[in-house]
Amino acid sequence: MSDVISVEGLVVVYSDGTKAVNGIDFGVKEGEFFGFLGPNGAGKSTTIKVLTTLLKRTAGKITVAGFDIEKHPEGIRKVIGVQSQDTVIDPDLTGRENMMLQGHLHQIGGEELKKRVDELLNLVGIADVADRRAGHYSGGMKKRLDLASALVHKPKLLFLDEPTTGLDPQSRAAIWEYLSKLNREEGITIFLTTQYMEEADRLCQRLFIIDQGKIVANGTPESLKREVGADSITMTLENGEAGPETKDRARQVLGRLEGINKIIESDGGLTVYAKNAGLVIADIVRAFDSNKIHLSSVSFASPTLDDVFLQHTGRRIRTEELNTKQATFSRFGAARRPTRQ
Amino acid sequence: MSLASDTYHLFIRALKKVLRNPILLFFSLLQPIIFLVLFTQLFSKFAAVPGLFPSGITYLEYATPGILLQNGFSSALQSGTSVVDELNSGMLEKMLVTPVNRSAILLGRLLSDAFRVVVQSVIILVLAYILGFDVAAGAGGILVMLVIIAFFGLAWSGISLAIGLRTRSAETVFGIGGFLTFPLLFMSTALVPVSAMPGWMANVSNINPISYAVNAVRGLSLPSSALTGLGLSFPGDILSAFAYIATIAVLTLGATLYLFRKVVT
Repeated sequence: MSDVISVEGLVVVYSDGTKAVNGIDFGVKEGEFFGFLGPNGAGKSTTIKVLTTLLKRTAGKITVAGFDIEKHPEGIRKVIGVQSQDTVIDPDLTGRENMMLQGHLHQIGGEELKKRVDELLNLVGIADVADRRAGHYSGGMKKRLDLASALVHKPKLLFLDEPTTGLDPQSRAAIWEYLSKLNREEGITIFLTTQYMEEADRLCQRLFIIDQGKIVANGTPESLKREVGADSITMTLENGEAGPETKDRARQVLGRLEGINKIIESDGGLTVYAKNAGLVIADIVRAFDSNKIHLSSVSFASPTLDDVFLQHTGRRIRTEELNTKQATFSRFGAARRPTRQ
Repeated sequence: MSLASDTYHLFIRALKKVLRNPILLFFSLLQPIIFLVLFTQLFSKFAAVPGLFPSGITYLEYATPGILLQNGFSSALQSGTSVVDELNSGMLEKMLVTPVNRSAILLGRLLSDAFRVVVQSVIILVLAYILGFDVAAGAGGILVMLVIIAFFGLAWSGISLAIGLRTRSAETVFGIGGFLTFPLLFMSTALVPVSAMPGWMANVSNINPISYAVNAVRGLSLPSSALTGLGLSFPGDILSAFAYIATIAVLTLGATLYLFRKVVT
């Protein structure tokens, strides 16, 4: 089957010289749930803006839904739905009016539109407040309204730029639910960007990990994690205040141990990868003890997408830092995290 | 087809936004109402000074057309703030990823601005009528008057929209709007006839677009006897006012369209 989105050699340089996207290639198949995972400023939003005809690319060949982005942007606009990173709704209009307007701008009207709007308001669970002004909605309701309004014209292709950033856990879980349903039941191709590993892991069939405008890894979430090939052991040294000299010493000690694949510096300590973490931990504790290295904490986990990112870039995805512990032990760690605006 | 229907839907949306924020509407009317009540009281005796004002008309009759235009002018100069809002809230981008006709986005906005000015003008006219103002040309005259005021506003909202698109700052739009309003207002025949001005100011007033528009409105509201006293003629002044307004509109709306296209693509 041919690709719904095909991108070859995309480069975007802003007028101030910032290279936001630095030569990426990818394709999205019809019906696929496709994701871009990366930290803030990785180039995710820029890529979405180019694909949705909002931003001019510097170089690259791009087709979306069979249309060349340069020659037929209006063809693309008819078949895509877009939800941008910031929730965009008109606070002075009611939820229903917001949806109707969006339909009208897509040249839909009459009974067909009314029915579709009712259907969507029900789907995202805001039918009971549909005739109140959207400005009075909670953050989660606004986001759901925004999502619903991107679906009015039954798009073939849905672009979602960080659809759950800033949402409370319940709203996030609800959005995940609708998105899976849309993809599964209505066959809508979804292109999603996120900085949440759990989100990418849960929703996306195929994933591109992007950092500083470049793709650093790609595959299914499972294959990416399998590539890591080992459990991760995360250690904090001297209550997380270890200097470079202590870390160097620790590295040397770890280097002499058997069964450790890779040593990476992480915040406040070190992370190592090992085939059989349970056994290696005991060795690490003994070795640190006899070398008088103060080990404050140690934990291990099966590989996550964060480990994939860490292995490829030497950094963790920043937003996940607050909760790496929770995240490494629970697949749904992010869902329990307090929301940060 | 999509231009007409898109413009219609965006016009209705803008209208709803205005009507649902009655406080904003009220405050934008406050200034002309204060002008109408206080200025006409303050200057009522000047109108009786021979040689300054044509005889036989009250200051209220003289100044109401000026206050109407002032309201249209200053409202139009604020219209750029709404575009700044659409740009910064992401609403413009949300519209741009749909197949909406690009010009309709601007047209819907301009039409709703014009509509708002007409509503405000009617309120001012009613108030002035209560105070003793009348329109010599009757109901038809009032209609033509409203058209002149609306078009005059449209022509100037182009400047405001262009500034908004360029700077993306509501403060700048407000600042420049306020900065332009008063000098242009006082150096026109809106509140005082040229005969009462120092020579240099009279020269500015003679080329000031506000003077042209005000003269046209006076051509409709004042009795013909008073018109000759002001050196005006009916309907000649109305035609020249329309020509002047059209010229300004082409320039400012052309610039706006150019900047808008640049933002849009």
